[in-house]
Formats: sequence, C-alpha cells, structure tokens
Amino acid sequence: MTISFPSTEYFEALKAQMAANEEKFRRLGFIDTKFGVSVGANGTPRNFVLEFEVFDLKDVREVPKIDPKQVDFTIEGDSRVWREMIENIKRNGEADSAHDINTLAHFGERLKIVYDDPDGHDKLYRFMESIQEFFDLSSKIEVSF
Amino acid sequence: MAFYADKDYTEDASILEAANQVMQGNLSLHWYAAKTERIKGHASNPRRGLTYQDLDIGSYGYTNIPENVRNSQSMVSRGSEKVGKLPDMGYVVNRKSDVWSDNVTQLYEESKARRWVPATDIPWTELHAHPLGHELEIACAQLYTFLQECQLVSMDFPSKWVALINQDFLEQKSWMCAQMLDASRLLEAFRKRALYGGTGLGRASATAEQGLKEWLWADKFPQGSVSINLSLAGFLLVVYRQIAAFAPSKVDRAIMGFAMQDAGRQVDYGLGQLRYHLKHRPLEVDAMEEYLDDTEHALVGLIGSPELLEPMIIMCGGGLEKAQVDKGRVATAKFIRLVVREYMERIAAAGLPGHSGRSRIPAMIDRISAPA
Amino acid sequence: MSYLSTTNFTEDKNFIDKWLYTIRTGEMDLSWMKAVTEKISPEEANPRRGLTYRDLNLGSYGYTDIPEKVRANRSYAPRGAAIPDGVPDAQPWVSRKSELWAFNTESYYEEAVSRQWNATTDIPWERLEGVEMSEVTGKALSQLMTFLTEVEMIATDTPAMWLPRLNPDFIEVRAFIASQAMDEARHAEVFRKRALTTGWGLMQASPINEMALKHLRDADSFSEMSVALHLVAEGNILTLFRFSEYLSPTDVDKKIFRLVMQDEARHVGYGMQHFKYVLEHFPEKREVLHAHLDEAENISFAGAAATELTEAFIILAGGGLKKENIEQGIKITTQFNLKQMQEHFERLDKCGMPERKERSKLYKMYEMGRAAAEAAGIKL
Repeated sequence: MTISFPSTEYFEALKAQMAANEEKFRRLGFIDTKFGVSVGANGTPRNFVLEFEVFDLKDVREVPKIDPKQVDFTIEGDSRVWREMIENIKRNGEADSAHDINTLAHFGERLKIVYDDPDGHDKLYRFMESIQEFFDLSSKIEVSF
Repeated sequence: MAFYADKDYTEDASILEAANQVMQGNLSLHWYAAKTERIKGHASNPRRGLTYQDLDIGSYGYTNIPENVRNSQSMVSRGSEKVGKLPDMGYVVNRKSDVWSDNVTQLYEESKARRWVPATDIPWTELHAHPLGHELEIACAQLYTFLQECQLVSMDFPSKWVALINQDFLEQKSWMCAQMLDASRLLEAFRKRALYGGTGLGRASATAEQGLKEWLWADKFPQGSVSINLSLAGFLLVVYRQIAAFAPSKVDRAIMGFAMQDAGRQVDYGLGQLRYHLKHRPLEVDAMEEYLDDTEHALVGLIGSPELLEPMIIMCGGGLEKAQVDKGRVATAKFIRLVVREYMERIAAAGLPGHSGRSRIPAMIDRISAPA
Repeated sequence: MSYLSTTNFTEDKNFIDKWLYTIRTGEMDLSWMKAVTEKISPEEANPRRGLTYRDLNLGSYGYTDIPEKVRANRSYAPRGAAIPDGVPDAQPWVSRKSELWAFNTESYYEEAVSRQWNATTDIPWERLEGVEMSEVTGKALSQLMTFLTEVEMIATDTPAMWLPRLNPDFIEVRAFIASQAMDEARHAEVFRKRALTTGWGLMQASPINEMALKHLRDADSFSEMSVALHLVAEGNILTLFRFSEYLSPTDVDKKIFRLVMQDEARHVGYGMQHFKYVLEHFPEKREVLHAHLDEAENISFAGAAATELTEAFIILAGGGLKKENIEQGIKITTQFNLKQMQEHFERLDKCGMPERKERSKLYKMYEMGRAAAEAAGIKL
C-alpha cells in the first residue's frame, strides 16, 4: 500500500514499524520528546506534532499551526527536501550522511530547527539516534508525494 | 587524610559481647521500630520500569529536599532514621540550588537507558575497508586527539566534585557518576578512532588545555558547572554535529551520533543547573555574569586552537586542495557562529538575557569574514 | 582553588587575528601535521569482541610500555600525543604505575561497559505487585537494603574522588574507575528502589558501619584506598551479596543480587590484580599496606557490633522470628561471617601476602570463631 507524504498516515505507518522493531528502539533507550514536523509547499505548510514516550510514538496529529512553546522543537523544511530525504532512505535502507536529519538541519539551510527553549532544542540531539532510526523506517513503506 | 577508628575494636569486650548476644539469639530489634515513612512505590508506567521519579514521595523524595541541608553530613540514605554517632563526611556543597537541576533524575534515567558500547556499536572495520586519504586521515586523528583532551576534563569535573556534595542529593550524585562513564566512553571512542586510522595521534593543544584547566578549576560548583556542562558541552555538541554532517566515514558518523546524545544530556544539565541556581539565588546573577566575563575567553581559546580549527577546515572540505580548503573554511566559519549563537541562547534562557550584550565574544564573531 | 589560564584569549590580539586570518584566507600553519608521533596498525583481535583497548596496546600508545614513573606527561594530553610547550599541569597526585595499575585493567573496563545494566528496566519490578511479605521479613529486607544504600553511595565517592588525581596517562585505570563509580551509583539506586517497594520504606542507619565507610574514603594513597575498598570492603560485600541472593525472599531480590554480584566481582577482581601488581612492583609498599590492612580489619571487626544489620540478616536467613527461625538464621549467619573472613584471607594469600595471617588480629578472631562454630556443629 502506498502512503502519501506528508500525512498523518505516513507517521502512523512509521509508528507501526517502530512497534514492529521494538527491540531496536529498546536498545537505543528511552525517547521522551514532543516535536513538530513542518512540511512547506507553496506557502501553506502542513504541520504535524509527534509525541514520543519511552520507546514508542505515542501520538501523532496534524495541526494548523505549531506552537513552539508546546513542543520541544520543530523540524521545518520545504517538501522538496523532505522528499529527497525519504527517497534517499528508500534507496539506501537508511539515510546517507548527506541526507540524515543532522546534516540537513545543521546550518539551517535545508531543514531548519525552530525552538522556543534551547533545552527543547537539545532534545533533538539527546534522542538523535532514535529519531533518525524512526525516519529511516521510511525504507520499509511505499511513499508517494 | 587518613581516618582511623577511635579504638582497637579487637580489644573491645563490648563489641564481642554485642556480637555474642545476637549470636545467642538475644536480638535487640532496636531497628525494628524505625521512625521512617512507610511507602510502597510503584512504576507509574510499566514500560519505563521503576524510575527515581516514581519514588519522589514524601520524606524519600527529592522535591522536598530543603534549600539548606543542615542536619545531614553522613552517608545516611535520605529518609532513613538517623541514630547514634554518625560520621561527618565534610561535604562542602550543601545547598540545593548549588547543584540541583529539575531534569537531573530524567537525565540519569536517560543516560542508563541510552548507553552504548564503543567496542561493539561502531562499525570499526569500515575504516579499513574504505580508508580515507592520508591528509584527511591525519586531520581526523588530530581532531580526535583534541577531543580526547576535552573528554579528560569532562571526566574530571564530576569526579572532582562528587564526594564534596551532600549525600542527600543522591540523584544528582548518581547523575554525576553517569557523566563520568559517558566521558570515559567518549574518550575511549575518540582514542580508538584516532589510532585505528593508522596515522597515530596528533598534537595536544596548549591553548585549549589552558582554557580547559581554568574552567575545570573553578572555585565553586555552579561556576564550574556552567563552564564544563554548559559552555564546554555546548561547544562539543556543535563539534560533534559538525563532524557528523561532514563525516568522512561511516565510523565517524556512527561515533558522532552517539556522542551528540551524550553531549546533549550534559548540556541540558548545565542549562538546567544554571537556571535553577539563578532562579533560587537571584543575588548570584551579578556574580555569575562577572564569572562568565572573566572565563568565557576560554571558549575563544578552544575555537581558535589551530589543533581544532585547521583539521576541521580540512575535514569539512575533504582535503588540502584550494577548493577544498575554501569549502572547509566557509563551513568552519558557520560552525563558529553556531557555537557562539547557541552558547548565548542557553545563557539567556538560563536567566542571563543581557549577557550577549556585555560579552566580548559576539563582536569578535562579527569580524569573521569567510568569502566563498 | 581557581586557576587562571596563562593567556586571556579575548585579550590576545595575535591569537584572535591569527584564527580570523585562517578563516578568511584558508592559509594554515599545519605544524600539527608534523607531530612526531608513532604510526600503528591496530586490528581487532576478535571481531565479535569489537575494537578493544587491548587491541591498541601498541608502542607508545600502549599501556604495557607506560614507565613505572610517568615523568613525560602531567597535562591533559592523551598518552602518545605530541605535547607542545605551554600545556598546563593537571596536578596529578598519582604518577607511579605500581600505585594504581592492575593486571588486565583494560579488560575489566571493557567488561564493565559491555555489561552495564539498568536498575529501572532490567529488574522485573512489576512482579512485586501483589507480593505480600510478612512484616518481619519486609522490615528485615528493608533494613538490609538501608545498610546497602549507605555502603554504595560511599563506594561512588571513594573511587570517584581519586579519578582526577590519577595521571592522565593511566587512561585505562581512569576509565575503570569511572565505570566503577557508575556501577556503585546503580547499586545505590537499586537498593533504594527495593527498600521503597517493600511497603516499609528505609529503616535505620548503621553508625558503626558508617565509620568503616569513612575509613574507606579517607586513605593516604590510591593503593591503600584500593586495598580497603576493592579487596576488604567489596570482598566482604561480595560474600554478602552471594548469601543475600541465597536467602532472598522473592525472585526480584534474587535478580537484583545476581546483577550487583557481577559488578562487585569485577571490582574485587581489579582490587586483587592491583594488589598483586603493587606487591610485585613496589615491594617497599608492603609494610604500608599491612598497616592499612590493620586498620581496615579493625574497622571490619567493629562491624560485628552493627546489630541492626546482623539481626536483619538472621531473620532473613531463618525466615522469621520464631525460635526455630532464629536458630536457623544464626547458623547461616555464622557461616556467612566465617566465610567472609575466610575469603578475605584467601584473597590476600593469593595476591602474595600469605604472611598476613600471622600478623592479623582478625585472623585470630576467625580461628576462634571457626573453632566455636565447629564445636556447635556449624561447618563452613
């Protein structure tokens, strides 16, 4: 089944994959963060809030706007960049160095990390391996854009 | 320093008598009616297990630790009944606001849950299967030499202070032990990486070490913490992200993925501690500003150390050809701006919003010119 | 205590101009590229074990060739790196290898990192739901746990405070000590968590045992600290863990003691290997260590009067407070006490200090105790 990106279905599919790969995420440890994903397209971004707890994605929902005070951080980017990342993951089974979240967001030039409190921003790095593994699960699903 | 028992107990008849009484079945049971709170803790979320947060209850909890811990200088576990003549351990950090951070228990639990093993979690042989060019490898070995120096200091800071901190702050002390292991593991990974590449270690950095020693040897815990846990860890977090973003090998990327997690915890403690300290001790704001004015030059010493700066340029550019160096220095200029921006953000968020206006560093960063 | 760097970098115009120039032009000094350091080709001896410190025990980077007295490095430079002028003195107190080295130090560290466990998730706490212990068992267990929380927190402070005093060239020992501090923090955590899940909470502190614990912390040298902590105290605690596992009232307690036992055995292993090393390589230290053992054993003996622990142990061992329970508990506790002492002297013997028995008052107490136990029909 093909799932379109961006959509809550896409994140729900990753959530199901995360549950199916529980041992891997257990090994990586607790992930306790709520963050936003904002996918820009023609000036009207689609926004999602993902809430992780312990080893799981507890909740995902689409919202009209992300309140930076209600999330630890938001990963913002144009749909082209997200698509490039997901396609790269599909091709390689995981993101290569040029297409992982850290690299794409490092200087804020392709993806951008937006945050209200640096404490929230740092959670991206505290849980980086789990967050990257989560997105790398895109390799296991068929995605359309 | 040695502490000796107050007498030769093997000659003390009362000891033998006490032991004999018990071993003859005459139990005193003086402990049986200990005046302590009766609780039965439960895991609030069975998937997470039983955490320290679950046991933040009444006299056993950390929420109720008073600002000044006055009546506890021994090693009695918080909440137990104190009896008899207990030793004075000479703790010098007895104020909660000098060490506490609201995220301490969470960070301790997280550090255990997110542990890793450098020997087996890094795909070391990739480096032999896909060796880097000679110049790039030497640059990497130099970077990892520099990072080992930083980790030695990161390891020493909690070790130096932990025994001086009152035992009532047990979650805090446990977190500091986790920090020691985190630093040791990073030092191990960096050393292994530098040596496995085959070019050997590089050169230690006198400029970096001078600044690091000034930070490590701070007079007071809150000052040392802001330097090591916030300034140094914040700087290192950006170094790790930079190396990951320009990783010349899968090995480097894997190491930095774990390193940024460990550094992220450390810097969040540094931010949380400074925030807690200033919130509960507003009169310390000026002293902390002054301390930062005096010591943040060490951050400039780290950034400007040729043992960091030059290999980073080479690593980011991929080599020593002019085009590579140009690419590398542009990326390194961005790195420096990012280090300073995030440092100022954290200091402001912790309770010193005007600090960037008085610091000399932003003006220095404005002078960076890196034309492509 | 504060130290001021030899340079204030924000005031050093040359330093600032130089790095700004490097960024602007790309012109680099590159003198670090000419660092005269050794080139080596390490390999993973066993790919399943990964890349270990032992695999890096080569030439100037290895630990085998660390000299007895480290004179060349007192800075934060990693062993084997080129050390430029101007690095600061890290002020290490211990720069003599035999004062801290142990055979197989690197293996103890690697084992510690690979065998880390988590008191939050690796103990089946949920199995305690619905488990009802009698008041006497619950309180005795809580009292034992209370004692162990006192022990374990000081066991974090003691090695940790020595860590920054060790010359940075002793990377592997520092690493082991860091891992030990974490192990002990986890032990303090698991015992506290267990006490707070019995329904009784923590119980009463143990003043005599705390005096012994202070003795552990305040030693004059690393070797003395190690013999008191790793060999005497942790050796005794290892025996205590083994007996506690045997008499644990629940499977959860058994699991706890099995896990802490692994860590404790590692610490005792390091202590034994260090004791052997120091006796072999620094013979003058033998008398100093004897004298420290005199003190350690004296304090160890005082523990006999820590009835809050002994009584709790008897109750757990006998399963209650009835006469027959107490008799059975005393029998097991006697065996435990004698076993602790027997193993203590066996360890010293194995490490190269067989003469300890001649000198030790504790050994005489052990012989008397053993004879009395045998007369009462209690055998080890």
